[in-house]
Amino acid sequence: MTGQGATELTVQENAEELRRTVTRLFGRSLHIRTLDTGSCAACEQEIRLLAAPHYDLHRLGFFFTPAPRHADLLMVTGPMVRAFENAARKTYDAIPDPKIVVATGACALGGVYQPDAFTRGGAGGTLPVDVWIPGCPPSPLALLQGLLVAVGRLAGKVKDLDFSLNGTPR
Amino acid sequence: MNPLPVLAGAAAAWGLAALIALACGSARAGIRACCVVSGLGGAAALAGGVSALLSGNSRVVSAGGSVVVGTLQLQATSLAGVFVALLGLIAVATALYVPRYHEPGHATGLYLGVYNLALLASLAVLAAGNVVTFLVAWETMALLCYLLILRGRVGRAEGQRAEVAAGAFWFLALSEAGFVAIVAAFVILAAKTHTMQLDLIAARAHLVSGDWRVAAYLLALTGFGFKAGLVPLHVWLPEAHPVAPADGSAFLSGLITKLGVYGIALFGFVLLPSGPAWRGILTMAAGAVTAAIGILYALNERDIKRFLAFSTIENIGIIITAFGAAMTFLAYGQRLLWAFLLLAGLYHVANHGSYKTLLFQEAGVIEHATGTRDFDRLGGLTHRLPRSSVISFVGTLGIAALPPLNGFVSEWLIFQGLFQGFRTGSHLVAILIVLAAGTLGLTGGLAVYAFVRGYGIPFLGMPRTRDAAAASEARQPVAGPALLAVACVALAVGAPVMLAGLARAMRTITGVTLRPVLLPGNLTVIPAHTKFSGFSPTWLTVFLLAVLAVPALIYLAGRPRGASRIEPVWDGGIVAFKPRMQYSAMTFSAPTRVMFDALYQPSVSVNRASDDPAGSSGPVHYESEATPIFERYLYRPVIRAFEWLADVVRPIQSGDVNLYLFYVFAAVLVAYLIAAL
Amino acid sequence: MPLWTLRGLRRGVVTTRYPARPDPSARLLPSPPAFRPDVLTPGLADRLVAVCPSRALARDADVLVFDVGACTACGRCRAEAPQAVGDSGEFELAATARAHLIKRIPLAGRPA
Repeated sequence: MTGQGATELTVQENAEELRRTVTRLFGRSLHIRTLDTGSCAACEQEIRLLAAPHYDLHRLGFFFTPAPRHADLLMVTGPMVRAFENAARKTYDAIPDPKIVVATGACALGGVYQPDAFTRGGAGGTLPVDVWIPGCPPSPLALLQGLLVAVGRLAGKVKDLDFSLNGTPR
Repeated sequence: MNPLPVLAGAAAAWGLAALIALACGSARAGIRACCVVSGLGGAAALAGGVSALLSGNSRVVSAGGSVVVGTLQLQATSLAGVFVALLGLIAVATALYVPRYHEPGHATGLYLGVYNLALLASLAVLAAGNVVTFLVAWETMALLCYLLILRGRVGRAEGQRAEVAAGAFWFLALSEAGFVAIVAAFVILAAKTHTMQLDLIAARAHLVSGDWRVAAYLLALTGFGFKAGLVPLHVWLPEAHPVAPADGSAFLSGLITKLGVYGIALFGFVLLPSGPAWRGILTMAAGAVTAAIGILYALNERDIKRFLAFSTIENIGIIITAFGAAMTFLAYGQRLLWAFLLLAGLYHVANHGSYKTLLFQEAGVIEHATGTRDFDRLGGLTHRLPRSSVISFVGTLGIAALPPLNGFVSEWLIFQGLFQGFRTGSHLVAILIVLAAGTLGLTGGLAVYAFVRGYGIPFLGMPRTRDAAAASEARQPVAGPALLAVACVALAVGAPVMLAGLARAMRTITGVTLRPVLLPGNLTVIPAHTKFSGFSPTWLTVFLLAVLAVPALIYLAGRPRGASRIEPVWDGGIVAFKPRMQYSAMTFSAPTRVMFDALYQPSVSVNRASDDPAGSSGPVHYESEATPIFERYLYRPVIRAFEWLADVVRPIQSGDVNLYLFYVFAAVLVAYLIAAL
Repeated sequence: MPLWTLRGLRRGVVTTRYPARPDPSARLLPSPPAFRPDVLTPGLADRLVAVCPSRALARDADVLVFDVGACTACGRCRAEAPQAVGDSGEFELAATARAHLIKRIPLAGRPA
């Protein structure tokens, strides 16, 4: 999906073009397939709430689908237990291109569980993740922000946050 | 054109084919020669049948005879024309099928000889002009079909040979039981009208008094019902049809059952056309019950050919329902609907003959390609047998009565006739007719369900066993089934033409002119009364093709131009997906076993190696069987009664010569006394 | 008209306007900590690293490496050193690269 003209584009322009293409394809209609790779289901509960009237992801054009063939975005939760790796890989392969992978929750981002004989410690080692959503579990608002960042409707802001407090304590 | 010479030519061809087969059936060239001649005979029969249909009843021709059997007389009637045309079509299709299906050998030569003689005998039944010819031809046909079924023993294991012999025995036994009733029916009519010629019997039908008419009709319904496969006279069908070779099964299901239908139509519409309303209602009820029970048992079958055999029973039920409703309408003076439903029933005869023969031939192809007839051992055959898969699909669409094919057209006609039950004027009769229509509706829905299973399990999905995966279409017969598939499509798209021909025949048989009402615009079919309904099979086909073309064109225009990725079918991410995890035929039809368990009365037995409820205790043996209610509650008591009677009478045959001499003396004495008085 | 329709109409629209307008419930959400670099000594930093159950904190010479992605907002670091750790109040934390979630906070006594 990168430009194929004779003139070289800068990295910045490439990224911008990519973002525009993604927004054009998915900005107004996105089908999400959730994948639980061994989580405690707290992330799943928050994801479930997205369809409830208060957060209502349908108004943003997002839909859940169980069939990978119909999905555009794979939302992965859980620390990727090794017994599930094959199934996760098969699910990813079953989704047609173009697709986006979103890792959700501290487990999928590599926290909480150390990699050992039973878990890989996060989705990053098995799947090519595009967007990371921290939280334990991430609230539905955080999930909405993550999905909108994934389709390019919002710009991520965590890059510019420094998590430093200056001055007197709150 | 006089059809009789053409039919005589067909008969001669089949006789010659039988001789060729008996003489040189062991060589492949001999088989081919026999099939060519047989196919030519079939073409002649097809032409003769169509001509008989259109030109009306021919004159009666005496063909010699003897003192013992009397004169043999032949007549090509319009009613028989449909059945003769079907016979011809099946003969041609089988002639194309046999060379690739049967291995050359002595047994094959015998088999083909018997088969061609059976074709000849069937033609004689249909062209019989008097009672004796009919009965002689009927018995000959039954015996030849018995020999035909026995051919299924060749090349099978010991247990299966016993099964084939049992199936053939069931066929012969019930055929003879029916024959007794048929003879009785004919004897009543011949005695009361003082003639043996069928057209004279029809002309003098008014001489037969009401009670005798009813008795003759009921005897005919029972006798021919045995052959046609009406419930509860059907038990021989699922035993006999599957064990014969595939083309034999096709011939039995496609034609021989229709000879029973021909007999019922002969008695109900030609020889004894008028009668009380209740006889029509009885026939209709018998047909409706047959249809429902037939398809319900079909859903419970794992064997392809038993499944198709029960489906034959279902379709015969539909035809007899149409006939029964027709007779009911006549009793209330609705002559148009009388002729219309007879026409619809005969059209369904032609349609069913074509697609059932096709499906049985394809079952034979599957059996030869994979070595099994069990649904649960097949799967994925659409990739391995591509042409057979397409042809089977056409046959499946036809038999499931899905538009635009021929099954849909004939069932639509029958339904439209049944829906006009209100024209009888009697509330009760109208309700009964609507009930019959409802039963046929249930049957139609179950038939779609059954044939989704019948096509989907063997052809779609993944192969469940290595035999299925190794299937190959090399050297499998294709021309025969393909011809029948073309016939199915022609019967559908060209339905107006076919129906116009049948309407001509109706004028001869019933004296009712249907044509202007049936086909006003030449392409639209109207069920006997205008302002009721109408549709055009031809335009429906065109419309469906156009509708399907739209998404096809959209796909072709808009599909992605770049390279696409091919991934395995999504199986839920199971790590080791085994083909046995797919739907099996029995699980697919499990909901009917739950809903209709009052009919099936299944007996379930479960055996475990050990009784440990918690752990894995080794293999679990699960067996479920539907109770054969007709065999157990109807036939077994009758058979036991006859055995008891035989036991009672046995002392007469004691083996003592003196007793036998006494019998002779007593018989002579009684004869003298009677003569003297 | 069913009762729940009337109840719903009385209650009004409950759907959040996010992202068009901020959601008022956002301030109630748990959030990752924020650190005071001027109070964080190396010793304090080591204690914080030891107490984090999710391996979100690590010390790299004179920098506290905070992995926002691994943080579960459990609050143990805040309980251990409340003078050095506060609430960030942030919940919009989605990142397009994993590296964007690794924050380096300079320790006290060293130039920033």
